[in-house]
Amino acid sequence: MEPDGQIKPSTLSVKDLPWQILWSKEKCLLCGRCTAVCPVKAIGLGVHRMRAIQVKLGLTEKPGNLFSVYHGIRQHTDAAHACVGCGMCSMVCPNGAISPIHNDEPDKLRFHINQGGAPRQRGGRRNKRLSLLDEIKFVRISMLTDPALDAGRHEFELRTLLGRILPPEEAIRVNREGGWSPPIREIYPLIIGSMSFGALSPTMWEGLQMGVAYLNEEMGMPVRFCTGEGGCPPRLLRSRFLKYIILQIASGYFGWDEIIHALPEMKEDPCAIEIKYGQGAKPGDGGLLMWYKVNRLIAAIRGVPTGVNLPSPPTHQTKYSIEEAVAKMIQSMSMAWAFRVPVYPKISATSTSLAVLNNLTRNPYASAMAMDGEDGGTGAAYNISLDHMGHPIASIVRDAYLNLVKIGKQNEIPIFAGGGVGKNGNLAANAAALIMLGASGIQVGKYIMQATAGCLGSETDRCIICNIGLCPKGITSQDPRLYRRLDPEKVAERLVDTVLSFDTELKKIVAPLGRSTSLPIGMSDAIGIADRNAAERLGIRYVV
Amino acid sequence: MSSKPTTIIPGSEKGVRVDSRLLEERIQNAVKDGHRQIEIIAQGQHGIGGRLWRSGEKPVFLSILGTPGQRVGGMGFPNTVIDVVGPVSDDVGWLNAGAKIIVRGHATNGAGNAMAQGKIYIAGNIGARGMTMTKHNPRFDPPELWVLGTAGDSFAEFMAGGVAVICGLGSKSDDNVLGYRPCVGMVGGKIFFRGHQQGYSENNAHLTVLDDDDWRWLTSQMKLFLEAVGRMELLSQLTADRDAWRILVAIKPYKKASPLRRDISSFHVDVWDRELGKGGLIGDLTDQDRSPIRLIATAAMRRFIPEWENEKYLPPCQAHCPTGIPAQQRWKLIRQGHTQEAVDLALRYTPFPATVCGYLCPNLCMQNCTRQKADLPAIDMKLLGRASLNAALPIPALPTGHKIAIIGGGPSGLSIAWQLLMKGHAPVIYEMRTELGGKITETIPRSRIPDDVLNHELKRLEEQIPHKHLKHPLTEEEFRSIYEKVDVVVIAAGARKPRVIPLPGHERAVAAIDFLRESRRDQAKVGKAVVVIGAGNVGCDAAAEAFRLGADSVTLIDIQEPASFGVERKHAEAAGAKFLWPRFTKAITKSAVELTSGEVLPADTVIMAVGDKPDLSFLSEEIRIENGFIAVNDNFQSSDPRVFAVGDAVRLGLLTEAIGAGRVAARSIDNLLRGREETIDQLPQIDPERVHLEYHDPRTPAFTDTETCAAGCASCGACRDCGLCETLCPQNAIARRPLEDEAYEYVVDADRCIGCGFCANACPCGIWRLTENDPLE
Repeated sequence: MEPDGQIKPSTLSVKDLPWQILWSKEKCLLCGRCTAVCPVKAIGLGVHRMRAIQVKLGLTEKPGNLFSVYHGIRQHTDAAHACVGCGMCSMVCPNGAISPIHNDEPDKLRFHINQGGAPRQRGGRRNKRLSLLDEIKFVRISMLTDPALDAGRHEFELRTLLGRILPPEEAIRVNREGGWSPPIREIYPLIIGSMSFGALSPTMWEGLQMGVAYLNEEMGMPVRFCTGEGGCPPRLLRSRFLKYIILQIASGYFGWDEIIHALPEMKEDPCAIEIKYGQGAKPGDGGLLMWYKVNRLIAAIRGVPTGVNLPSPPTHQTKYSIEEAVAKMIQSMSMAWAFRVPVYPKISATSTSLAVLNNLTRNPYASAMAMDGEDGGTGAAYNISLDHMGHPIASIVRDAYLNLVKIGKQNEIPIFAGGGVGKNGNLAANAAALIMLGASGIQVGKYIMQATAGCLGSETDRCIICNIGLCPKGITSQDPRLYRRLDPEKVAERLVDTVLSFDTELKKIVAPLGRSTSLPIGMSDAIGIADRNAAERLGIRYVV
Repeated sequence: MSSKPTTIIPGSEKGVRVDSRLLEERIQNAVKDGHRQIEIIAQGQHGIGGRLWRSGEKPVFLSILGTPGQRVGGMGFPNTVIDVVGPVSDDVGWLNAGAKIIVRGHATNGAGNAMAQGKIYIAGNIGARGMTMTKHNPRFDPPELWVLGTAGDSFAEFMAGGVAVICGLGSKSDDNVLGYRPCVGMVGGKIFFRGHQQGYSENNAHLTVLDDDDWRWLTSQMKLFLEAVGRMELLSQLTADRDAWRILVAIKPYKKASPLRRDISSFHVDVWDRELGKGGLIGDLTDQDRSPIRLIATAAMRRFIPEWENEKYLPPCQAHCPTGIPAQQRWKLIRQGHTQEAVDLALRYTPFPATVCGYLCPNLCMQNCTRQKADLPAIDMKLLGRASLNAALPIPALPTGHKIAIIGGGPSGLSIAWQLLMKGHAPVIYEMRTELGGKITETIPRSRIPDDVLNHELKRLEEQIPHKHLKHPLTEEEFRSIYEKVDVVVIAAGARKPRVIPLPGHERAVAAIDFLRESRRDQAKVGKAVVVIGAGNVGCDAAAEAFRLGADSVTLIDIQEPASFGVERKHAEAAGAKFLWPRFTKAITKSAVELTSGEVLPADTVIMAVGDKPDLSFLSEEIRIENGFIAVNDNFQSSDPRVFAVGDAVRLGLLTEAIGAGRVAARSIDNLLRGREETIDQLPQIDPERVHLEYHDPRTPAFTDTETCAAGCASCGACRDCGLCETLCPQNAIARRPLEDEAYEYVVDADRCIGCGFCANACPCGIWRLTENDPLE
């Protein structure tokens, strides 16, 4: 606003914003790179008038005014152009003259980003930094008690099973008598996704897929990628790389007719089918791909016309109960590949998760259960859903696993956990913690975006404008001017680096436990926490 | 052993095993006692033969019979030679610091573990983890481990120095002579081996062949080894074929820096694109180039592009002038030194530039001057208006012969007549009064406009425009006869019929319009106390005049907050008028105005100023009338296409509005007469936020001359050609391009422009606009 203008209730000053631009007149070259790169036009050139009062010593002459004009970088204060703290200005500044800094007190913008009665929406992650998973320690270190392994020296088979494992007597019977046995995939315990083509830019998506193919074919690591809801490019469906892909089906069913059309031409079966019922970032809420993002490419892959809104409702329309949801969908999806492909549902972690799990245990075609906790990421959600809805992943994984133990099926139906794994950078530690709580593997998205493409998002409200298509790194944008900033090859390379280092770190955790031939799934005696309540709730050691 | 022992130390006494601690003590004592040829009959004792430093420079020979325990020769000294007549248990030569240890049988796990100097000669096979964690201290020769047979699994783990020779004797063709996964973590040293080996840690070790030096060393040292273990008969077999031997050496750390991975680009081309097709994942769906671009991009890859929108928007002064005078353009002419042109320009828009712009107009141009948003004084249009008194007459278009009758010689009638005249038509004014000018000459107080100014401009009009003074109100017959004789009739009869509120005693009140008409001729009379009902601008004029004519007090009442403003209000207030509202009149008595509130305002004279309406009694019923005014379309055309109407006969308004209506109507009449169709689109007004006022001196006092006005004009939306954008553009992408005559434009070199928006944010006049670049699919 003009400093002398009229104020309105929502008139804000720089001090009221979450991010403040610190700019140095002395260092600034006025090169224009910061204003050219700013994704939200939070800054622009400012014209400033300066005044110097000239007074002759001794007051021998009448004092005078000297006005001058200088140009500098000015931060805008209207909500639509509030700085998001991405820091791209710092990145492009040749002189280190500009950088966003976080307000030292809670901002006032939060009270005003509901103009027109529309609550705030954003992408990214929860604005909560705490992670219970980070607090879990691995306390059972084998040294002299039983042979400790050396992560560097010993060969590890860090693999997990995705699929329904028959109890031994049943397996023997099937083996003897013949007949159908459920499909099982031996995969790497880290699954990437689910992130759709559309939520991610073409370069990001291709980079990740290329990296996954590389990990499989060059490094011998069976890492899998879940597509998210948005279909799958026709070429990928018809390639051998399909076996590295978990195809997701969700309430919008986007791209599924294209997948069906590709069935006769598939060289390989997909790894699995994930039926999405919910996600951790916005449990119980649907999504909407805005019409302006539905360009020719997205439209072709999703099998829709261009320029239309694409809603994914909160629920699948033809499901009326858990029984139905589970039985009907799993059966249909299994049938598409003649029961050769594992099919499992993914739900938001919820206090009702166990009901779903119990149901799955009674369904012979259910291959697994995936749960996404409150810390899950998203391309777009209401602030309220992101920050305040959902169930923490740790306790629900534990409950689910112990429930399986109670009915003796803990080795029969794997649990996959996601939502905030690695939210503070501790990917392997969080993964290992979840595995020891009972997960057979983890699903990870945000960490991958940060590590492979330099996503700037944070739990302190930095950037997270995934929802408006202006991702400054080109990760979640459909605009070539942004997504061409991202080189798919470099993304692929970073994915390989990331998974390799994750692999080493995970080995560094499980080797001292003496595990090398199987993952320590549910090995809860190996973990502890310095919080008595958490220890009690999770059934793990209380260690101080 | 070369000679007979000088002492024999038994490992058991009376059938009881000697504790390792005691055996060690006895061996140490034997050495201390000078024995240098010692035979030990071992029975599982630990660490036999190590730490014999007491032997000093004279070597000590140990012959071990029986079954030694683990770590034979552990921490062995260079002066020690140990000969084990049979196999050994784990960790033979553990942490060996120089002893030579000969084993005439197999060794179990851990042979040579952590040794740093000395030699271990094994005449058989070794178990797992042989030669692990060995070192080479540069102060000494490297340690050596010689194995006649094969090594077990995990051989040479973390080997950091020394030499191992694995002769592979007795191995089958598909045995691994170095066991499973040797060399994990190996960082130094060298392993000679003979025979088959499937797999080793390729991250750590490098497989190669023997060069001449290696071969020379191997063959010479082989002799010593075989001699020591008494198997010289094997020499020829083991040294027969150099090609049967290979070497594993540690990879140098600096060569390890990059992991052995396929280059991702080659994977992209040779694997990814080969399987998916050209263009990869979505090559079949789009032609969009997806190759990487720079973060700061130019041309088509810029996110934003600047546009030079010169004169694409009206400045607020012009946009708000009902007459449509291009005020800003006039200031520009003055800046360019064309002052006379700037003055002359006025007459193209109004016949009253001095009278109205200079005196009577509330100057909406100034009220909307952009400068005021930064508290700068508005550019003073009155100065330029007054300067227009001597404007030169525009040259009219060639005569068309079209006749237009204009009923009424007030501001709107004169304006339309003036405009039609300029367009070459022949207007005739019919005026019932004896002088032209309408309200200007009839009711506006003299104090508001100097006579000489008004007369000058009236004279200019009278000389140019034929007019007939009817001296009586127009009749219906007269109107019809005029209508038949001309091409177009324009009704500009004004609103001369005062509105009257039918209050009790209303006949006692005088209508403001009548009062002002009389007062202008100094023929009005007022009492001491005057009440004006209706506190609008006309009421204010009446109040000021009442004071001039001798009133002591004037009270203006209104039913709401008075709508009066500007000079009229100021004059009335300055004269001492009181304003009361909301007040509702109940009745007018002989000496007072009674209000519904019970209040009684003494009044010798009551003036009713509640508006006027047109007298349209001369019109036939064909012309549509709405609420007492003539109904017209946007072009001021009435329901009869040949009849136009402007001014107060259409709606009450300001002088400038009447004059502006005349201009617009004249243009549509001209179009009608010439059979031309034209839609009159006015440019939108510029957003004042685009204009930057920081370039102006905030302390400028009120304007006193047209030159400072011209200099201070922000030139909203019209380029001042200051060249700031050209200078400021960090990419040097903006250039001034001269066009024909004195015209110019500023252009952007797209290949240089990065879309920073500096031009748009800095432009003093708001010409540059930054827009989003066209979307790319």
